[in-house]
Amino acid sequence: MRTALYGSKMADTATGGSGTRPGGKQASTPADNYYLARRRTLQVVVSSLLTEAGFESAEKAAVETLTEMLQSYISEMGRSAKSYCEHTARTQPTLSDIVVTLVEMGFNVETLPAYAKRSQRMVITAPPVTNQPVTPKALTAGQNKPHPSHIPSHFPEFPDPHTYIKTPTYREPVSDYQVLREKAASQRRDVERALTRFMAKTGETQSLFKDDVSTFPLIAARPFTVPYLTALLPSELEMQQMEETDSSEQDDQTDTENLPLHMSTDDSGPEKENASVLQQNTSLSGSRNGEENMIDNPYLRPVKKPKIRRKK
Amino acid sequence: FHPSGKQGSKTMNRKKGDKGFEICINNINFQRKSVVGYVELTIFPTVANLNRIKLNSKQCRIYRVRVNDLEAAFIYNDPTLEVCHHESKQRNLNYFSNAYAAAVSAVDPDAGNGELCIKVPSELWKHVDELKVLKVHINFSLDQPKGGLHFVVPNMEGSMAERGAHVFSCGYQNSTRFWFPCVDSYSELCTWKLEYTVDAAMVAVSNGDLVETVYTHDMRKKTFHYMLTIPTAASNISLAIGPFEILVDPYMHEVTHFCLPQLLPLLKHTTSYLHEVFEFYEEILTCRYPYSCFKTVFIDEAYVEVAAYASMSIFSTNLLHSAMIIDETPLTRRCLAQALAQQFFGCFISRMSWSDEWVLKGISGYIYGLWMKKTFGVNEYRHWIKQELDQIVAYELKTGGVLLHPIFGGGKEKDNPASHLHFSIKHPHTLSWEYYTMFQCKAHLVMRLIENRISMEFMLQVFNKLLSLASTASSQKFQSHMWSQMLVSTSGFLKSISNVSGKDIQPLIKQWVDQSGVVKFYGSFAFNRKRNVLELEIKQDYTSPGTQKYVGPLKVTVQELDGSFNHTLQIEENSLKHDIPCHSKSRRNKKKKIPLMNGEEVDMDLSAMDADSPLLWIRIDPDMSVLRKVEFEQSDFMWQYQLRYERDVVAQEEAILALEKFPTPASRLALTDILEQEQCFYRVRMMACFCLAKIANSMVSTWTGPPAMKSLFTRMFCCKTCPNIVKTNNFMNFQSYFLQKTMPVAMALLRDVHNLCPKEVLMFILDLIKYNDNRKNKFSDNYYRAELIDALANSVTPAVSVNNEVRTLDNLNPDVRLILEEITRFLNMEKLLPSYRHTITVSCLKAIRVLQKNGHVPSDPALFKSYAEYGHFIDVRIAALDAVVDYTKVDRSYEELQWLLTMVQNDPVPYIRHKILDMLTKNPPFTKNMESPLCNEALVDQLWKLMNSGTSHDWRLRCGAVDLYFTLFGLSRPSCLPLPELGLVLNLKEKKAVLNPTIIPESVVNNQEPVNSTNNHGQSVGFQNTFSNSQEEEEIDMDTVHDSQAFIYHHLNMLERPSTPGMSKFIGKMIVWIFQRFQLGVGFVFFFTTTGMYHAYKSEKLRKK
Repeated sequence: MRTALYGSKMADTATGGSGTRPGGKQASTPADNYYLARRRTLQVVVSSLLTEAGFESAEKAAVETLTEMLQSYISEMGRSAKSYCEHTARTQPTLSDIVVTLVEMGFNVETLPAYAKRSQRMVITAPPVTNQPVTPKALTAGQNKPHPSHIPSHFPEFPDPHTYIKTPTYREPVSDYQVLREKAASQRRDVERALTRFMAKTGETQSLFKDDVSTFPLIAARPFTVPYLTALLPSELEMQQMEETDSSEQDDQTDTENLPLHMSTDDSGPEKENASVLQQNTSLSGSRNGEENMIDNPYLRPVKKPKIRRKK
Repeated sequence: FHPSGKQGSKTMNRKKGDKGFEICINNINFQRKSVVGYVELTIFPTVANLNRIKLNSKQCRIYRVRVNDLEAAFIYNDPTLEVCHHESKQRNLNYFSNAYAAAVSAVDPDAGNGELCIKVPSELWKHVDELKVLKVHINFSLDQPKGGLHFVVPNMEGSMAERGAHVFSCGYQNSTRFWFPCVDSYSELCTWKLEYTVDAAMVAVSNGDLVETVYTHDMRKKTFHYMLTIPTAASNISLAIGPFEILVDPYMHEVTHFCLPQLLPLLKHTTSYLHEVFEFYEEILTCRYPYSCFKTVFIDEAYVEVAAYASMSIFSTNLLHSAMIIDETPLTRRCLAQALAQQFFGCFISRMSWSDEWVLKGISGYIYGLWMKKTFGVNEYRHWIKQELDQIVAYELKTGGVLLHPIFGGGKEKDNPASHLHFSIKHPHTLSWEYYTMFQCKAHLVMRLIENRISMEFMLQVFNKLLSLASTASSQKFQSHMWSQMLVSTSGFLKSISNVSGKDIQPLIKQWVDQSGVVKFYGSFAFNRKRNVLELEIKQDYTSPGTQKYVGPLKVTVQELDGSFNHTLQIEENSLKHDIPCHSKSRRNKKKKIPLMNGEEVDMDLSAMDADSPLLWIRIDPDMSVLRKVEFEQSDFMWQYQLRYERDVVAQEEAILALEKFPTPASRLALTDILEQEQCFYRVRMMACFCLAKIANSMVSTWTGPPAMKSLFTRMFCCKTCPNIVKTNNFMNFQSYFLQKTMPVAMALLRDVHNLCPKEVLMFILDLIKYNDNRKNKFSDNYYRAELIDALANSVTPAVSVNNEVRTLDNLNPDVRLILEEITRFLNMEKLLPSYRHTITVSCLKAIRVLQKNGHVPSDPALFKSYAEYGHFIDVRIAALDAVVDYTKVDRSYEELQWLLTMVQNDPVPYIRHKILDMLTKNPPFTKNMESPLCNEALVDQLWKLMNSGTSHDWRLRCGAVDLYFTLFGLSRPSCLPLPELGLVLNLKEKKAVLNPTIIPESVVNNQEPVNSTNNHGQSVGFQNTFSNSQEEEEIDMDTVHDSQAFIYHHLNMLERPSTPGMSKFIGKMIVWIFQRFQLGVGFVFFFTTTGMYHAYKSEKLRKK
């Protein structure tokens, strides 16, 4: 959903860009030149792909449309990859950003290597480069890796091996029980203290010392409207914990508790729904939809409609 | 309207011939806290010339009374509203207690009295003489009731149902008269038809079967129709209305549970156990549960934790708990079991009169005990019996006795069986709450004594007989005279026992039921080697208050080398010494195993014992078959053997208690061994912790090794690899859980040579807090953390203060700073992640008070006062109030005392009001023999007013106020009051002048009492005569008194004192008062002047004679 939205948006701007630019005839700025060169290259790519697919000729309009689509697709990839890299606080996209982008756009990344190495592929000649930027010769260390066969030779060379070769090192993971406990304890304590101090700083406080209100700040006691609820109900944290720690016993219990409900659920569909509601809140549904329940309890019976007023 | 004729005379004749009392509550307004309704009762006159009908009614506004559709005149007179009317300077408690008892008598339904007196219209007199049915219809309303019916209306947005507003009936003993006019007696049975019209979102839970629920015509309200066909006393009628969640018990579909919104999961868990209690009682009583349904309702702001009524029980919502809570689970189950036991005895079977109350409380307490034994085991049961026994013994020795079956001969002061008390025991409503609690405790202990005497089998047969007679009677719909079988009386119960068992238990009854007091034994022994005889000396103290002389059999168990032997001694008047032959010669072959009482044979290290004696230990009355206190002397090694090898937990506990006096390495070893022994009962091990701490403190100079219990705790609960870190919590084993909780608390009581808590111990506890990790635990650790805070508090010792300097942060002790750091963090975390029942807040508040008291933190009640406000959880409020009470005492603060007393009058929660008085009584700011700046005339007046008129809506509260007054000022005139104008009073009858009884100093007044509280053991014969003048005068009063008005009137006639207001003024006041009670539009009202009324009483009395 998100990709579709972004995609369509992106396509709009791309077509908008291409719609205005070629319309102007006096285009001769370097930027325009780049633009045209890119466009040309893309056209070549589209044409070669078409050839590969078995087309012998194509209308110009069709090639233009396909070029436009390809351009949009690539632009969106770039934009999206940039967002992902910025999201993780980086400026340069990495391979993983591209992968995520492709996945997000609905592309099956796994098919890519096989596609790249396909035998009948056509290699496009390198675009003519007018002024090759002079790369300063840095210290070279080791032999640069040659390009594999599926990468055109005009692509940039591999960087020096030391920039990507890794030697895995192992740091002893902290597995010492004592240290772990120590860490957990102090971490929790720090969090608790920070949190309570923050609460104390931002709210009303009480103090044990008249002369000092900041060293031992106590969050002020605030009366509740319904005090028993907080006192009796387990907190969400505890509930979660309970679910984690005991599953077997809990299951047993619910089984027996639901016994009468199971009996009542062997009817039709909507009633089954009711039964599950009943499970959630016996009181409300129980008192109203009493008929569905096999239990004969006066509190589950329906409320009667008033009779004609009797004489007192 | 004669008492004897009243029995079963009240029946109701409705269309189809069913009988009953009908209550209809048409309108309940939560916003205004008001109730409107009517009652209808039919009276079958059993005597002719019945022209007045007396009913009980308090705080209800009665609009209209009709008898057989004729308007009837009525008078409403409640003498308990204001006990002493005149403005005299009488301020002595004796006077008040007499007047109060008289006032309660004057409206006692068992004596045919009542607050509401309806005059049968003269047109019907003939009708009555033919003994025809009278139908009485009373319209009433209740506006903001202060007692009897409690409204809980949270102050927030939303409809009443959304807010969780609810209302329920409550009160102590027969308190039904507070919410509808009735014969508020446990002995007046009738069938009931109850109707409640409530908001459609609410549920009304009441007694009997819910017949139907019908919408009103506007469909906005529902009417709940209940029918109770089992004859029931008005006092067992109850009501709870609220937006309850409904849970039908999955095991028993006729049982329904109700709780407040959002608590359903807790309700499910809490009540999942109830069916087992049902099964247990039905099995032992071989009798089905008497009612056709049972309802449990859990409500907020409960008056008591458990209240049992016919076919329903009202519980405090705070008993609900989830599966994660360990500590509350047994407590709640006990409450459920208690409530159910009372369904059989107390609700279904009611009592004939107040003096038979002990039978019901006794039986229900006894079968509850049997349930305890089955559920929690023999050890827990025996521990509980011991605990109850210790409590009742301590209370009786303190106050002078609890009488189970008082017999009142003519109401004369000298026949008063409880003259050692500052209240009358003639009525339940005049009893101190503590006395009543102890009364119940004694009742079930005495039942156990009866069981010991006649065997449990017979005992259960007796109960079964009572129940089957009652259930036969209850089904007799048209023969109400049969219904008396549903009432139990002392004589009926005893007869039943003698029929079933064929045994005579009269001596036992005489000793424990008809007489108050417990037995105090002192025992010591010597071993006569030549005769191989144990010479046992057993002395008794029967002269101290609260004691009695015991004559009869007494079991003594002697553990010798060759085994354990029981001996039954006959305790007689003059024999103190008893020779008991020993079975074994002193130790010969060391290797032999020693047989114990239970047949077990054990190896013992006998090196500690006396080589000449074969005695290992001796126990007096091991089965607790006498209500007694035993102080027995035996050597330390004997106590140590008893602790290690005696298998009875009571013996082990006694040994632990005794070992406190023997701080030796051997005691230390015995205690540590017990602590480590996993087979040992956990409560014994917990007790051993505290004893070990005490011994360690006494042995401080010779103690070697790490602080007591530290290495043990480390071994049991800390990691193997890093002993300073406690394992992550796992409370699956409850025994070790309780031990883990207790040990740090006990360790914190250790002190070094400087009387400070050892640094090592404090650091250890702080580490326990630091490394506490509950993530993997199935149970909540809130109680454990709370006890760790308690441990911190226990470690606090008084601050070393340099000439009373002001407590500031700068001179805070570094250890205390660490403690305070933890407390602050815990207390603040509670605001974000509150613990179950806020146990941690409670412990923090207590700890802060300890720090204040020890001078580390400036003493200041402000914090506690904020936590004591309405809106905090009740446990927190009570902890905070306790701290304020303590502050009031320590700092002698008048302001705080006033604050507390204001709360007693105004707090919305009845339990809090009661509890404040209770705490003030237990921890009084001053006592009667103490000089205190707080003790002044204004306070006397204030408290007097409180008990005289301020607490008329709650029996328990009034008695609490009386207790406090007694604690502060004693029985006679408070010493801080100025002397009254007249020192001498002219006694017209005897033509003598006597000292004004109000100013007789305490010591003299004391002497007038047959049983003295401070001196004079042997009731000297002389003093009755010496002071007979003033005594006589009292007696005359009591003889003729029927209610407080008459009493006062009488006084006015007797003593023409210029300081008292004149007669005419008094009558005037009466009339105005009656006018205030009854609004216009009542119809036709008869007025009596006081004199008229007095004569009316007098003539009635003459008629009775």
